[in-house]
Amino acid sequence: MSQRQDIVYLDYAATTPVDPCVAEAMAALLTIGQDFGNPSSVHLAGRRSGDHVSRAAEQLAKLLGTESGRLIWTSGATESNNLAIIGAARFNEHRGKHLITMHTEHHAVTDVFRALEKQGFDVTWLAPDEHGVLDPAQLEAAIRDDTQLVSIMHVNNETGVIQDVESLGGCCRRHGALFHVDAAQSVGKLPIDLARMPIDLMSMTAHKLYGPKGIGALYIADRPGCHIEPLLFGGGQQQRLRPGTLPVHQVAGFGQAAEVAGERMAADYAHLLALRDRLWAGIGDIPGLLRNGDADRSFPGILNVSVEDIEGESLLLALEPLCVAAGSACNSHSREPSSVLRSMGRSDEFAQSAIRFSFGRQTGDEDVDFAVTHYRRGVAKLRELAPARAV
Amino acid sequence: MTRDPYSARVREYFMRPLHAGDLEGSVRTEIDAQGVRLRLAATTSDGHIRRLRFRAWGCPHLLAAAEAFCDACEGGPVANLMSFSASELMQSLSVPAEKTGRILVLEDAVRSLGQMLGHGSGRGD
Repeated sequence: MSQRQDIVYLDYAATTPVDPCVAEAMAALLTIGQDFGNPSSVHLAGRRSGDHVSRAAEQLAKLLGTESGRLIWTSGATESNNLAIIGAARFNEHRGKHLITMHTEHHAVTDVFRALEKQGFDVTWLAPDEHGVLDPAQLEAAIRDDTQLVSIMHVNNETGVIQDVESLGGCCRRHGALFHVDAAQSVGKLPIDLARMPIDLMSMTAHKLYGPKGIGALYIADRPGCHIEPLLFGGGQQQRLRPGTLPVHQVAGFGQAAEVAGERMAADYAHLLALRDRLWAGIGDIPGLLRNGDADRSFPGILNVSVEDIEGESLLLALEPLCVAAGSACNSHSREPSSVLRSMGRSDEFAQSAIRFSFGRQTGDEDVDFAVTHYRRGVAKLRELAPARAV
Repeated sequence: MTRDPYSARVREYFMRPLHAGDLEGSVRTEIDAQGVRLRLAATTSDGHIRRLRFRAWGCPHLLAAAEAFCDACEGGPVANLMSFSASELMQSLSVPAEKTGRILVLEDAVRSLGQMLGHGSGRGD
């Protein structure tokens, strides 16, 4: 087995292990005798640290098809989403107070929009179709003259559904609205060419692509009107948009992870596709099983399934030592059925039984086979325990 | 931080529900409420519970509580069913307060079973 003996980890959409070469690059920037300096310092130690930051920005920019100067380092995708959405909404308030997003966004986006609603912004919430996909025509119909910002995620963190960000962004461009994309689940996994794609703001994080936790980035396009207000104050770093001493080892780790992701993207994709198909082939015939998300328009690293007449919390415990998610990991303490699945039209019963399997580079066929065996066994056990429904 | 929501006893009872199933010729009660379904079945003789079985659809705490109840009460006097306390069971299993409603479903089912068996109406097997 490719993992620790006591667990089988199939929760790569929650976080990934740090690639050994990333850990090595980070460990080389921490102690005396290494380049540990403050990259804002003008002395030699500072300039040497600054070189590592510049190199990381180049590595990430290359992966995304943009220029390194368009990237702002943050603490992760949550901060990037906050900075992009609140920063843009405030900067462009004079253009209008109408914003658009989707019910299926991550809480790091939906909670930000709810906060803006309380501050007087008018938010239109779009729902996807039953497969989790947003029709660009829906967005086109929702945009108004006073719409200043649209935020739609690239790959859904629960279902893996890929939104057509090119068409959605094109729609925003035609109407003069800024387009923000939460790309936490897609950067380094799907091709992204910001030189060509109509994206104005894009959030990302390192720990979903085998980099360290605690470091993310926000892309800001070099276009007229594409500006944001800072949320933090206290220094002149990063064009005053996100002040604070940069964690050089974290930044370097993100850069290294981005470089590796770019080199391995095609191989990783093929590996994930084979794993997902293997899992589906192993469990797809279970009576009452339902796949959540359009199979043809989903990132292959995620497979989300619901099953009839099964209580989700008990299923999750029955699956141990398999590490999977019952919903968004950030919201795993919640007993509420997934709002993402409910907005796709799933009943509460189906939504609460959802399990998200997500795979990564270190996942092997034997891990998937273990998941197949345990999932089938868990469903069978809970069905055996349940009393028959009253007719 | 996320800590283990299940005590060792809950895990043990959930993983090994030795009293899950049905009983031939038993007195049965079934409740569908609070988002859970629970069935209890008992056979008795000489005022004592000879065998107890359960079936349940619900969270791990409910399943573990049902198993713990059966484990504790099988072989005991039928009269004990009327004094069954969900709060004591919750305490012994470290069931979180937000699950109280579900465990009270078990208490209701136990009381119902006790009433059905109260005057020796349970059939021996």
